[in-house]
Amino acid sequence: MLKQQRFLLALIALLVVGALIVVTPFGKQYGLGKINLGLDLRGGSQLTLQVNPTEEVTDITPNVMEAVQTVVANRLNPEGVSEIVVQTVGNQQILVQLPGVSDPKDAEQLLSQVAQLDFRRPNNAILAQVNVRSSELQRLLQKLPEAEKAGDAAALAKIQGEVQEKQKQLTELQDQFFVKTDLTGEDLNDASYAISQSQPNKWDVTLRFDVDGGKKFAALTKSLAGTGQPLGIFLDGKSVSQATVSERFKANGITGGAAIITGNFELEDAKLLANQLKGGSLPVPVKVEEIRTVGATLGQDSIRRSVLAGIGGLILVLIFMGVWYRLPGLIADVALCVYGLLTFACYVLFGVTLTLPGIAGFILSIGMAVDANILIFERTREELRSGKTLYRSIESGFYRAFTSILDSNVTTLIACGVLYWLGSGLVRGFAVTLGIGVAVSMFTAITCSRTLMFTAISIPSLRKVELFDSKKAVS
Amino acid sequence: MKLNLNQQRGLWWTISGALILAGIISMALSWNQYQAPLKPGLDFTGGTRLQLERDCSQPDNCKTPIQITDIRQILDEQKLAESSVQVIGQDAQGVAIRTKDLNQEERTKLTEALTTKLGQLDVEKSQIDTVGPTLGKQLLASGLLALLVSFAAIIVYVSVRFQFDYALFAIVALFHDVLITMGFFSILGLTRGVEVNSLFIVGLLTIIGFSVNDTVVIYDRVRENLKYGAKRSISETVDIAVNQTLGRSINTSLTTGLPLIGIYIFGGETLKDFALTLIIGFAAGAYSSIFIASTLLAWWRQRKERGSYMTATDSSPEEI
Repeated sequence: MLKQQRFLLALIALLVVGALIVVTPFGKQYGLGKINLGLDLRGGSQLTLQVNPTEEVTDITPNVMEAVQTVVANRLNPEGVSEIVVQTVGNQQILVQLPGVSDPKDAEQLLSQVAQLDFRRPNNAILAQVNVRSSELQRLLQKLPEAEKAGDAAALAKIQGEVQEKQKQLTELQDQFFVKTDLTGEDLNDASYAISQSQPNKWDVTLRFDVDGGKKFAALTKSLAGTGQPLGIFLDGKSVSQATVSERFKANGITGGAAIITGNFELEDAKLLANQLKGGSLPVPVKVEEIRTVGATLGQDSIRRSVLAGIGGLILVLIFMGVWYRLPGLIADVALCVYGLLTFACYVLFGVTLTLPGIAGFILSIGMAVDANILIFERTREELRSGKTLYRSIESGFYRAFTSILDSNVTTLIACGVLYWLGSGLVRGFAVTLGIGVAVSMFTAITCSRTLMFTAISIPSLRKVELFDSKKAVS
Repeated sequence: MKLNLNQQRGLWWTISGALILAGIISMALSWNQYQAPLKPGLDFTGGTRLQLERDCSQPDNCKTPIQITDIRQILDEQKLAESSVQVIGQDAQGVAIRTKDLNQEERTKLTEALTTKLGQLDVEKSQIDTVGPTLGKQLLASGLLALLVSFAAIIVYVSVRFQFDYALFAIVALFHDVLITMGFFSILGLTRGVEVNSLFIVGLLTIIGFSVNDTVVIYDRVRENLKYGAKRSISETVDIAVNQTLGRSINTSLTTGLPLIGIYIFGGETLKDFALTLIIGFAAGAYSSIFIASTLLAWWRQRKERGSYMTATDSSPEEI
């Protein structure tokens, strides 16, 4: 019995020291010692992205989600240095956290666009038609002033109608003017932005292809060199740049695998485009479903005031326990402090992100930890009043309260398990912190309080009934 | 102090019944007004909520309070007249606007117009939420599913450890607590415009956890007394069990309530309604485990005992 007690005391001491190492700066050397705070507490932006199926990709499989997640992460964090969190939530949602970002408009723009880059060449048949139609249009336009001079209203209206018709045909043709080639954004190795060579205060986007893409690009430019026909660069089906390839590349095309898009970009736009291209194209479109932004000060103020209020309440609880339950109350206070320490260590070890619901779970678990102690001490008092000895009373207090503690906590743990399994983000955070708290509180209330209690009554001066029950002392 | 619960159980049931009824009436009225039993917050309706504050470190920026008409004018210009506006903060230097779902361009346009009108805003103190209309439904659906499954799991566990009727009345008590909390917030929604968001759902889950916990402790004592106690009527046994655990019930309510009241009075704005949810729910939970779950159990067992006695006498004439 005594041997077992000594072992448990050593175990508790070991756990406390271990927990202290984990939660204090000392543990930081090993990447520990920090609790992640949710964005609702530290400030920043959080985006929820809904992934939508398309005609080509009708089924959103975990593989697709993983691909989307990678692209999102690459686009938002091209250098890979910021603390951006991208994670899959549920089956079709991705959660993006941008700590410290007070206006996520760039991120939103980066994500809501598909950014598919491709290179196109003119279609020769259509080019010929375009030439025919434009000369026809020219002739019509020349007729216009004559008709005006003649004052023939009917003829004028007729020519104007024809002009409109031709113009419509031309725009239709121009839409088909470029045809896709096999060179697309997928052949890209890297994209960056640089100050424009040709226009002052404008920016270009430079592209670097992989080996295969470089070959395709060379072949494409070779076929166009010297023809005067433009090479079209399209982003999401819209023309961003058209370039003619000069005669001197006739022999080999442009080799070296690099291209420049001169699109008269502003710095911001060039940066955005480069990041979009570098991130690659999303296999399916995503929609920004939810944005939550909390100013840094607001989050900090909220946590500071709430934590202070919570700590104030807890100190009252500790005082109450000591006054009402005397020596056992003080032991419970020690056990509660151990409880708090171990729970925080668990949060650190399990990588729990603490959010407002998480704090709620923590508060409730403290309530349950206190409750377990109260159950035991009320029972001990009852046993004392029924005339049992101090040692027997304490022993049966723990023994008889155990089923209550077990049953009530297991029901809570069951609920936590189900909430974690079926719930979404917010509910999950709550379930994790409450579950950890309940599990740790079972240990501290039963093992820790018990060991400390029996250690305390092994000291003769503490073995007095009035230290356990105030009414006993009076009567 | 000794409570004779089962003598006055009609009274306890009437008190709870009246509170729940008031809540249900309020929820019906609320349905009429908001198409929902409680005034739904952004999380459930979708839309954009901007909470902005002037940057008072700039000279002359915060001299006058913000005028609601100025904001209305800007909203009208941007065709957002349907929105709700509230001036917030002690010195009326902040504003909370709730509009339809705004995209990034519309949002930027609105904040720019507001900056021109109000002066420099403090981004560090601002909060902007945009929620698409489908997200709230998903949250509600997954939350409800999780709830139903955990109810089933709790019923199974309590039935195995105790008996099925215990489990059933624990769930009745749990619905009691949830209904009272919802009714209370429904009334707040109608009278003071308090909205419920996803944190409220988390609050209800917490209340459910507490409620079952509290009820099980009393049931445990009933079970123990039935096993070891002298032969007494079920009503008496339950009364004794509740009185034996009363000290614990009061003290636990006190120790869980103290930090919550602290947060309610002194805590940050975001946690206030949440703390209030828990305070109401925990109070209802403490009441229901003492006055409802236990008395229902006694009533049910009594009825069953009497019922079996009755059938026995009923069958006797046939034997004659």
